[in-house]
Amino acid sequence: MAQENFLVILPYAIAFLLFTATLVSYRVIFGPTLADRAVALNTATTKAVVIIAMLSLLYDAPYLLDVSIVLLMVNAVGGLIIAKYMEVRA
Amino acid sequence: MHFYLRQRLEEVRKRVLYESYEAQKLPAWERIVITWMALFAFWIVISGKFSPSHMITGALVTLIVAVVTRDFLTDDIRQTGHLISKAAYIFLFLIPQYLFIMAFRLLESNLKVVKNVLFMDINPGIVKVKSNLHSNTGLTVLANSITLTPGTLTLDVTKKLGEAYLYVHWIDVETLDGEKAGMKIKGEIEEWLKKIFW
Amino acid sequence: MIELLFLLFGIFIMFFGALGLLRFPDVYTRLHATAKCDTGGAISILLALALASDFPITGKLKFLVIAFMIAMINPMVSHAIARAAYKSGIKPKAVVDMYAWDNP
Repeated sequence: MAQENFLVILPYAIAFLLFTATLVSYRVIFGPTLADRAVALNTATTKAVVIIAMLSLLYDAPYLLDVSIVLLMVNAVGGLIIAKYMEVRA
Repeated sequence: MHFYLRQRLEEVRKRVLYESYEAQKLPAWERIVITWMALFAFWIVISGKFSPSHMITGALVTLIVAVVTRDFLTDDIRQTGHLISKAAYIFLFLIPQYLFIMAFRLLESNLKVVKNVLFMDINPGIVKVKSNLHSNTGLTVLANSITLTPGTLTLDVTKKLGEAYLYVHWIDVETLDGEKAGMKIKGEIEEWLKKIFW
Repeated sequence: MIELLFLLFGIFIMFFGALGLLRFPDVYTRLHATAKCDTGGAISILLALALASDFPITGKLKFLVIAFMIAMINPMVSHAIARAAYKSGIKPKAVVDMYAWDNP
């Protein structure tokens, strides 16, 4: 296992990042324009990638890293497609 | 008449650029080998297993993908002769230097965003900056570096008559003069990038 | 010890990035906050995890691969969203707008 004090502090770090993602979801729900929603969704997905990488250390399960790589790629393609949609609709 | 001459001049210039570009391109098998090496390194890092079945499967699959997509990654590599020694020089010496510079610029920009969020002392504006790079890959790396340096965000890139211009959203506009703004925004990153890209 | 410092710094930076997303006035300044703070915070946390974990060497390399891909993908997506927001007609609250001078 990894170092003990690091593993003790890790669940609190995950809880704090989830609280931050909750703050961001205000901008997802009440954002004035579509661009605000896209930005906030991108931010929340990056936080989810980091949280999954932390969970792989906490559960001692290296296969979760593959999940976070795939989620990151989906995030990139999704952001580009939303940007393309906004540009075409204008 | 005047407009026609300008259009004609642009057309001729574009064609000359394109022909000199085509004449310097790498041969096909070298492009395939470079793409295949990059993809196979990525396969090894992602799979993380070294048994023969994994290695053979990865080699075959990445070779097929490399044959199809051989133009995407090596589009801006010029024929300079000593490709291996140049690649070793870039990967061993220039890229660690770049990562070292960018790490401290990123730290500085994070602290500056924290200061801006706390005190809200913003004065935003969009300025236009001329760039000395011409290749697509170099412009992409320059735009990403500008986005990560403190206080700036790249908005758009235009290329006209062989000259590239960047539109930069600046959160605290200090000067409107093109030269001074370019010096403040790009700094040493562009001179560093001129060593690799053209 | 150094990895704990990296972890706390990354969480601090990501919290201020989210706060900037809530407080700034328009899309472009919000993009400033998220692009820089998410990239820096995520790279810092992933470096801390790579230092603290006891996975084999390929497992540690995967953390660095994720950090490198975040550093490439995040500015690219923010650039695309900023350009699309300008094209779809969101005017920036700015003192000078040279993009509107050249593309009327």
